[in-house]
Amino acid sequence: MLIVALFAARFTSSSTEAAEQEGAQLPAPSLPAFVIPKPEGLAGEGTASRWTTVARPVSVREAADPDAAVIASLSRQTPEHTTNVVLVEGSAVDDERRLWIAVRVPALPRNVTGWVPRNALGANSFVRTRLVVDLERLSATLLRDGRRVFDADIGVGTRAFPTPAGEFYIRSKLRSLSPFYGPLAFGTSARSAVLTDWPDGGFIGVHGTDRPELLPGRVSHGCIRMRNDDIVELGRLMPVGTPVTIR
Amino acid sequence: MPSEHSLDTGLTLGDVDEDGAILEAIERVQGDTRTGFLRKATIGGATLLGALALPGTGKTQSAKDVDILNYALSLEYLQAAFYTEAEQVRALRGKARRAVEVVGAVERAHVKAFRDALGAAAIARPTFNFRGVTENQREFLKTAVAFEDLAVAAYKGQAPRLVSDALLAVAVSIHSVEARHAAWMRYLFNITPAANAFDEPLSRQEVTRIVASTNFVTKSGRTERKGTPRFTG
Repeated sequence: MLIVALFAARFTSSSTEAAEQEGAQLPAPSLPAFVIPKPEGLAGEGTASRWTTVARPVSVREAADPDAAVIASLSRQTPEHTTNVVLVEGSAVDDERRLWIAVRVPALPRNVTGWVPRNALGANSFVRTRLVVDLERLSATLLRDGRRVFDADIGVGTRAFPTPAGEFYIRSKLRSLSPFYGPLAFGTSARSAVLTDWPDGGFIGVHGTDRPELLPGRVSHGCIRMRNDDIVELGRLMPVGTPVTIR
Repeated sequence: MPSEHSLDTGLTLGDVDEDGAILEAIERVQGDTRTGFLRKATIGGATLLGALALPGTGKTQSAKDVDILNYALSLEYLQAAFYTEAEQVRALRGKARRAVEVVGAVERAHVKAFRDALGAAAIARPTFNFRGVTENQREFLKTAVAFEDLAVAAYKGQAPRLVSDALLAVAVSIHSVEARHAAWMRYLFNITPAANAFDEPLSRQEVTRIVASTNFVTKSGRTERKGTPRFTG
């Protein structure tokens, strides 16, 4: 037993010395130039909405089927000469294994959901915001991840030119060159059911105003007006693609 | 060891930088208007490497490292966008869904680290159109295997070219993580995770060609502009 213990001690001692000698001849590991941060999960999951660009003109069909009835059409550009975008609501694969996407379309009198082939659409984008317009309280509220981040008094359509209620989305952002619209105007997918012969289709905007003294009130041709300070702030917070609920 | 000239791809910056993201990064670094000239500069050529030198350093070696870091960043952008979209679209099931959450978070961490390290020299994030691949489990896994194998081979191809030992330490650390991802995706796709005794590197030219062949890099839409609205008012 003693011999074994002495052998073990000698072996341990000599191998440690050998390792120390060997280690002294090897350079220390290089320190990395920078450190990779800790991986983090996605923020706002569960409240994100998906939108995409229209890559080519395409017919919107009633079902995910190339023979289904055409209910609308989509062009690559909006009347404001921005890239046309659509809100994505679902997807399906047809019998030929082609992928179809359900999109919200700015039809009259309300937006409708129809189907287009995936290859007619561009890159996907995601937003975590939602704009809620309350026609009774004359207020607009922006939510991010379900939490309120912006509130403003607004002007909405008169009784003759009502602001349409329903589910819509923001599809353009214009730095306005017209004082009437204030410094900034968002184009929505909502359309006036009354002003059907309005130039470019009678789309409803969310914009500033040169008559702030009229707000809050029922003063517009259907558009949602807010004070210029408010629209500038909203412009900082609300990306294109944001769903809009008007109720 | 490849020669310095093997970085030359024959592709011009204009060929692969449709969106102008890389030129934007150069302009930010240099603060000049040589974009017309740079657009014709060959990828990996001396002109572009010089253009990517960090302001004030004037060292070609540093510029070479910056170029390699931006090349790595471009691959990390691709991977991070791919996994993030797959997670957001929510079309994947089972173990693939969990893998996407983990790997996506790691790829986003890689992007953040490279962007922080490069500062103003970092290339801008491109726009990706994955053309429905993130919405189909089989297509997604097949592409994930290809991307991870590509990343592993790309890091292997460039790590020995780094001038800085400290950057090499980073590259090797990421390379092994990408290799784990590659094995994971291969396992999920039901192919052997590690079948080879020796992995080959890929040149930048080969990687660029493979990425370009996917048509996943696209132009971003223009959803904002200046103009007179014609809304109902």
